[in-house]
Amino acid sequence: MRKAVLVVLAALFGGLVGVPASAHHSAIQFDFTKSVPIKGVVIKFEAINPHMRMILRITDAKGTRDIEVEGHSTNNMYRAGYRDKMIQVGDTVTVYVAPLKDGSDGGYVTAALTAKGTRFGMVSRAIQEAERERERAEGGARQ
Amino acid sequence: MRSARVPLALALAGAFVFLALMRVTAAGEPDFTGVWSTYVDPTAPAGRGARGGGPPPPFTDDAKKKVAAYRAMVTPTGDTPGGYCLGAGMPGSMLGSGGYPMEIHQRPEQIIIVYEAHNEVRRVYLGNRIVPEADRIPGRNGHSSGRWEGETLVVETTHLVEQVDQQYAHSNQAKIVERYRLTTAPNGVKVLVNEMTLTDPVFYTQPVKVEKKWQQVPNGHLLPYECAEEGWHKRLEELEKKHAKPGA
Repeated sequence: MRKAVLVVLAALFGGLVGVPASAHHSAIQFDFTKSVPIKGVVIKFEAINPHMRMILRITDAKGTRDIEVEGHSTNNMYRAGYRDKMIQVGDTVTVYVAPLKDGSDGGYVTAALTAKGTRFGMVSRAIQEAERERERAEGGARQ
Repeated sequence: MRSARVPLALALAGAFVFLALMRVTAAGEPDFTGVWSTYVDPTAPAGRGARGGGPPPPFTDDAKKKVAAYRAMVTPTGDTPGGYCLGAGMPGSMLGSGGYPMEIHQRPEQIIIVYEAHNEVRRVYLGNRIVPEADRIPGRNGHSSGRWEGETLVVETTHLVEQVDQQYAHSNQAKIVERYRLTTAPNGVKVLVNEMTLTDPVFYTQPVKVEKKWQQVPNGHLLPYECAEEGWHKRLEELEKKHAKPGA
């Protein structure tokens, strides 16, 4: 059932959810063919529309810094498993983002793994199709 | 006296249960009240059920120019009406509303359709509630008047403004006729079928027919959608930075 919900949301995201995905600015700056995990400590979190917003303190090869990410509308995330207080300031979480095309910090959150290990979110149509293509190729190779 | 009341109460209760189960109003019309989401064909390949398609709309030459000019302007930037917290307007609102659900409240004289995205609202007036033409102000969802033809709700929408920013772009001369009926999918899900005909001699060389299906969400709820909240929060952050005292 849960998978079915995610598939439906993914279909909507790929085809019809142009309104929230692009609200206030264009989503054209994000690469939705990729899903990149970013782990960090939540400095700020807003479950609002049209985009969830989050500031994460991350540490990587470039050092420690705060980055801002945004994501799907709270409404879409709710239907993909998000519930109130799942993400709170101080939590260590992993967000899965469509990265910015120019390679700078940030991204568009499509899914998240909370501090308690709960995952919510959806898979973009592009990634679903890539996954199906990979499965087809593997199936063909096995035959 | 008491013995006469009991059968009457039982009969009324039975009638109520019957009406509820059959989803009909006391007047005998189908009851569309409830929450609906875009119908997903359970037999369709995953991830492919919701996307539209079909031949290009039969635009007039003038409409082709207007739509092409608009799309050339916004395609590079990805700008959309929703990007500015603007609702879809008709027919976009009824054809999907960004993939969000809608809620219908049905009364004999008025049907209210609330689309979750942008809290967009359509009002369909029936009978004596229909707004006189002279009192209508054009808008993106126009004015909708309804009537029942048996178990089919027929809704006529006029007084639309020109909208090139829709899949089915149209002029202010557009007229949309929708025919709504209830049916049941093979898997038992209640489905609201909308057969829509868009007629617009300014933008189209012939009427455009589109079918849209919505599936019932039992005990579903719409969520709030305050689209302008993000913009307001960002503005407050700008003001806070501007007014922050150095060293504070």
